[in-house]
Amino acid sequence: MARDPKYDILFEPIQIGPKTLKNRFYQVPHCIGAGSEKPGMQAYHRGMKAEGGWGACCTEYCSIHPESDDTSRVSARIWDDGDVQNLAAMCDRLHEFGALAGIELWYGGPHAPCMESRATPRGPSQIASDFELNIFPRNMDQDDIDTVQQMYVDAAIRAREAGFDIVYVYGAHAYMPFQFLSPFYNRRSDKYGGSFENRARFWRESLIKVREAVGDDCAIASRFAVDHLLGPISIQVGEDGKRFVEHCDDVVDLWDFTVGDIAEWGQNAGPSRFFEENHEKPYTGQIKAGNHTNKPVVGVGRITNPDTMVAIIRSGQFDIIGAARPSISDPFLPQKIEEGRLDDIRECIGCNQCISRWEIGGPPMVCTQNATAGEEYRRGWHPEKFHPAANSEKSVLVIGAGPAGMECAMILGKREMSAVHLVEAHKQIGGCVNWISQLGHSDGKENIFRGTARGLGEWSRIVNYRQIQLDKLRNVEVHTNSRLSAEDVLGYGAEIVIVATGCHYATDGMNAATHAPIPGADTSLDWQLTPDEVVSGAKQIGKRVLVLENEAYFMGVSVAQKLAGEGHDVTLVTQAGDIAGYMHYTLEAPMLHRDLERLGVHIHTYTMLDSIEPGVCHAYDVWNPAETHDFEVDTVVLCTARISDDELYRELKADKERLASEGIEGLYIIGDASAPRMIVDSVFDGHRLAREIDSPTPEMPLPFIRERRLWGDSSNATYLGQLSSTADISLV
Amino acid sequence: MRIVVAVKQVAALDEEFELLVDGRSVDPDYLEWDLNEWDTFSLEAALQLRDALDGDGHEVVAVTIGEEEAQEGLLACLAKGADRAVRVWDESLRDSDVLAVARVLAAVIERESPDLVLCGVQSSDAVNGATGVALSGFLGLAHVAVVKHIELDGTTVTVQRELEGGLVEILTLPLPALLTIQTGINEPRYATLRAIKQAREKPLESLSLGELGLDHGAVAAAAGSRVVSIAHPERGEGAQMLEGAPAEVAARIVEIVRDRMTG
Repeated sequence: MARDPKYDILFEPIQIGPKTLKNRFYQVPHCIGAGSEKPGMQAYHRGMKAEGGWGACCTEYCSIHPESDDTSRVSARIWDDGDVQNLAAMCDRLHEFGALAGIELWYGGPHAPCMESRATPRGPSQIASDFELNIFPRNMDQDDIDTVQQMYVDAAIRAREAGFDIVYVYGAHAYMPFQFLSPFYNRRSDKYGGSFENRARFWRESLIKVREAVGDDCAIASRFAVDHLLGPISIQVGEDGKRFVEHCDDVVDLWDFTVGDIAEWGQNAGPSRFFEENHEKPYTGQIKAGNHTNKPVVGVGRITNPDTMVAIIRSGQFDIIGAARPSISDPFLPQKIEEGRLDDIRECIGCNQCISRWEIGGPPMVCTQNATAGEEYRRGWHPEKFHPAANSEKSVLVIGAGPAGMECAMILGKREMSAVHLVEAHKQIGGCVNWISQLGHSDGKENIFRGTARGLGEWSRIVNYRQIQLDKLRNVEVHTNSRLSAEDVLGYGAEIVIVATGCHYATDGMNAATHAPIPGADTSLDWQLTPDEVVSGAKQIGKRVLVLENEAYFMGVSVAQKLAGEGHDVTLVTQAGDIAGYMHYTLEAPMLHRDLERLGVHIHTYTMLDSIEPGVCHAYDVWNPAETHDFEVDTVVLCTARISDDELYRELKADKERLASEGIEGLYIIGDASAPRMIVDSVFDGHRLAREIDSPTPEMPLPFIRERRLWGDSSNATYLGQLSSTADISLV
Repeated sequence: MRIVVAVKQVAALDEEFELLVDGRSVDPDYLEWDLNEWDTFSLEAALQLRDALDGDGHEVVAVTIGEEEAQEGLLACLAKGADRAVRVWDESLRDSDVLAVARVLAAVIERESPDLVLCGVQSSDAVNGATGVALSGFLGLAHVAVVKHIELDGTTVTVQRELEGGLVEILTLPLPALLTIQTGINEPRYATLRAIKQAREKPLESLSLGELGLDHGAVAAAAGSRVVSIAHPERGEGAQMLEGAPAEVAARIVEIVRDRMTG
């Protein structure tokens, strides 16, 4: 199919300084955990997007010097010739597909803790970072300013040598140039502080120096938070925001607009449970449309809908559609629009699992929707290409159509297995996503700060995408409303059986904190519930509700939001030091805390239940169990342990002779049925098994390429030799 | 008891498709084939009736008229539990209308001497809703259309139909009889992988017109209509898209409605 003419505008080239961007699709700088030290991952992840049609792809933030060191988080680095060599691999890969390569030159100041380099960061004023713990910068004098500006210049020259087309002076997210611009950081009284012109001086001078050094060969870009979202104490779009753009418009070739800072950057990388598509428009939409710039503008907002993209360009908000998360979720988004295959677009769900891994510091990026993200090089996985399985003549039965089962059946179908049957006990496919996607909302009212509790509705895209793909696969049959017994499975006639039957919440309070049930906990009683029962409406819920949250992710707090929003008096209890600890990594925590505060939820941390009786929960302080507290309640919700539904697998596995006599050659278990986990990991588990269904031992993941230094002589061939699966992309 | 189920392998269009140069049919390159949805319900009804009968010797026979691709539909019926299947094809049947198809079906079904004949209410591609009724005419059988419940009682069959206002009409017919079956009457089963493999071992007969004692002339004599052309409808004026802020759009809508009401 051909592209719909209404999207033509997205495919018009645009000039950026000395470079031409071939279309309006632009992967803005975002972290992936590769940096300069996993050059294969870096080159092949960005390269996949170039292959999928993105006109430009950028590195993540790229440190210009060892005194801007973000360890344990992984940034790129362009400190020396070795970094040039490694990042050149990314540039080469992008250029093969006609995409431009961008590099985001970064100096963090106090936001860079320098835990590897042990260097001392410099800053405009000696105020501790509001992002790091206890990191102070050294006050910069004129020599320091000259030195840091020279670091930008030296890094820009190295970037040009590596092959980069677009060179950023990165000031958004409250890094160095923004720290000079904002009075929140800058308390100087010299020519770099005080007035707007003085505060803007460092950034403008840095842009001019970088431009003089490489501007003839490279486009000069700057990423700028047009509003710090802190009110009059910092940059506001209607004041210094638009003023700064006008002030530096002559020295940039491309503006990249965001909002907020790194301390609460969920305001920029907005999770779907609080922010809708293009949520930054009230800020970033003011600059171009208000005639404050004559230069091309790119910006983001988790934009996955091509109609929104067109509206953004036509309204004058941006000239170029920027994407981080949508490009991770679907590296082939531009090509799918080009080919009129809109229903094949794998839309980002805004869960921010990708971001969580960077926040944790160290692990490679993951994606709930795209299990191949970050696996392009080390496992040779391509998101759109699948080689036929060596055992494709086999037929497969997948039992359970949750995230793992849907993904596994879909990939097995794409790998041309002769027949794949996906059989689901419930009326619809989707498994836990079908009820989880109904959580996370409260009363729909404005939050204390930006955004509203929209809920997890966009997570249902996990199901929608797979449903559409499964429907298209002629070798896959999906059968719902059919619960199979072990005898049914044995007589089914499949040669490969994959069990993906999910898990359930403990009914007796069994939990990770005490490794034991809670006396009195029993969800067979009408006043005690598991989380799914809250959604199904199976039980009457009283006025006073206690939610016990032992999981440290979204479940307990989402239940609390829902019930408090419905007018219940909710008490949220956790053994941990904060509720929903993992949601700090997904950037959802600040907004979540505000919503729970607004709703009047009573939060008790470092608190665990000793026992439950009708009308009362007996609790204790985890640091001093002698300190007890009784909560008078009408209803208790137990978000405690999850337990695999693996009885079917165990029953089948117990009789190996029968399996053999029925012709079942392989029996595997995936997802929550194997061990409860996050949805992102269930999808991966299903995908991984399908990718390796023809390996000698499919139940064991094949080794992947590890990009570590090999002692002594080594070459790329040494690394490629570590890949034991069959690559769907050609690795060089 | 022998129950014959007449089924059809229907064509589904791709999102984009082209017509053949003769202007009378869709280019088969743009078609995907599948068993007619209504027929999955009539087959299921037949299987349930058979399975509820005492003793052996009861059978469900699926019959169809169609080219090679119709073989897949019959195999699907056999995999789900039909005992036998018969396919009839002759090149001269290619552009047959409802009556011609019913005439050929009547010949193959007469050969089976069934106690009950089930058809779907309609096929999803041609949507005539007439084959079953025409077939009852050729066979000289009592018939009821759009059935949503069936009970067999020795020599009669009692069925329910749904009428306007939620009224239920109950009718009793002597056997043999013909019923056209509405979707939703039951929950059609699916075939396991083993049943799909074993279906290939079940009897599947292919017959020509001659083997049924028919020829092209007899079929042509039964036919009532022929397709002159198929075409896309002419485009109307199309919708008018209103752009602007919600308040502006709302004001414009009020203006248009007022204009049309007074005009």
